[in-house]
Amino acid sequence: MDPTSTSTDDLPAGTSPEHSRLHNRIRRVCYVLLFALVVEGALTFPLLALWYGFPELSPHEVCDELQKVMYTDDTRECQQPVPLGDAPFGGPAEAEGQTTARDEWGVQPRPQYPTVHYRDLVENKERREANADDDDPEAADDPDAADG
Amino acid sequence: MTTTQLAGAGAGGGTIGLDDHAEESRDAQRRADRWLIGGTILMGTAVLGIFGLPLFLKGLSLQRQAQRSGLSVRPIIVTLIGYMVMLDAALNTFGWAIDLFANHTLVSRLFLPTWGNMFDAGYFWHYNELAVGGTSAPGEKAWEVVGVFVVFPMRIAACIGLLQMKRWGHQWMILTCWTGVIMWVGYVANMTVYADIRFTGVVFPVIGWWLYDIFYITPFVSLPYLHTVNREIFTD
Repeated sequence: MDPTSTSTDDLPAGTSPEHSRLHNRIRRVCYVLLFALVVEGALTFPLLALWYGFPELSPHEVCDELQKVMYTDDTRECQQPVPLGDAPFGGPAEAEGQTTARDEWGVQPRPQYPTVHYRDLVENKERREANADDDDPEAADDPDAADG
Repeated sequence: MTTTQLAGAGAGGGTIGLDDHAEESRDAQRRADRWLIGGTILMGTAVLGIFGLPLFLKGLSLQRQAQRSGLSVRPIIVTLIGYMVMLDAALNTFGWAIDLFANHTLVSRLFLPTWGNMFDAGYFWHYNELAVGGTSAPGEKAWEVVGVFVVFPMRIAACIGLLQMKRWGHQWMILTCWTGVIMWVGYVANMTVYADIRFTGVVFPVIGWWLYDIFYITPFVSLPYLHTVNREIFTD
């Protein structure tokens, strides 16, 4: 549309003929951004949940598995809930004294943990449990022991 | 009733008084705003955004109808910019506020580190190890403080003023949109300097981050409009 041919009466309040094309484009971009933000917002949580192991893993187990990756430590667990007296209210900060995280330390540290691919956390947990069973064959044969 | 008559104004297209026209316009705007506000609140939660969008579009449609029938309502583009920039502030505040204040809750421990592991490991690497908890990436906490305490509240106030067609709303909107430019440039520069922390071992690094975050550029897109609109449409 040629902006110079637009009558001022047809334009929204505040838009002059010479800026009508610019304002039209901005309006259209806003629509695109609106739809994109909404779709992105709606899909983010389901995507994260699926990728990181829900529903096979409970929320607490996902938290556990993330900690194990973060610190490269299969014994690391997600402490939840955290006591109110902990940092910053006087107690130790989280993971204080934990030295297993593999980083190349320096002024620009470089983490060494692996990328968590789709459903890796579920596989990590299953592999660890299978290894535990292999280490303790009697426990694997004993249904009471397997139930915990 | 005033003696001033407006030919062709009002939904019926007949002749009505100026006061009637003003009242009808105000009612139409309020009706549209109810849907727009409801929709924006839901969209601001991210998860429920899909339910908020139809409400928002219904509000826009009501406003367009009012505009076409000759009522004096807010221009559609001002409505879009006002609500979109508010949505931008709400979504950013949501993530950063829980990282600042609720970083040891299970929801934060799940949402932020999983999102971080996928797009930006500033929210995964040594997460919660600072005394104040939350992200441990160098500089990130400072951006959260400036965003949650200064920029986003100011931005939401500016949006309210703009949507009320106030002159100060227009002025503050320009201010907050330029502040957004400062935040993006500073934020991206900080993230780039510590790129090893932010993007090593990340599922969708750099390009993934840009694809995810590019939709938050409404404040910049709005700037050419805010600088070229006739400011006389905003009242003192």
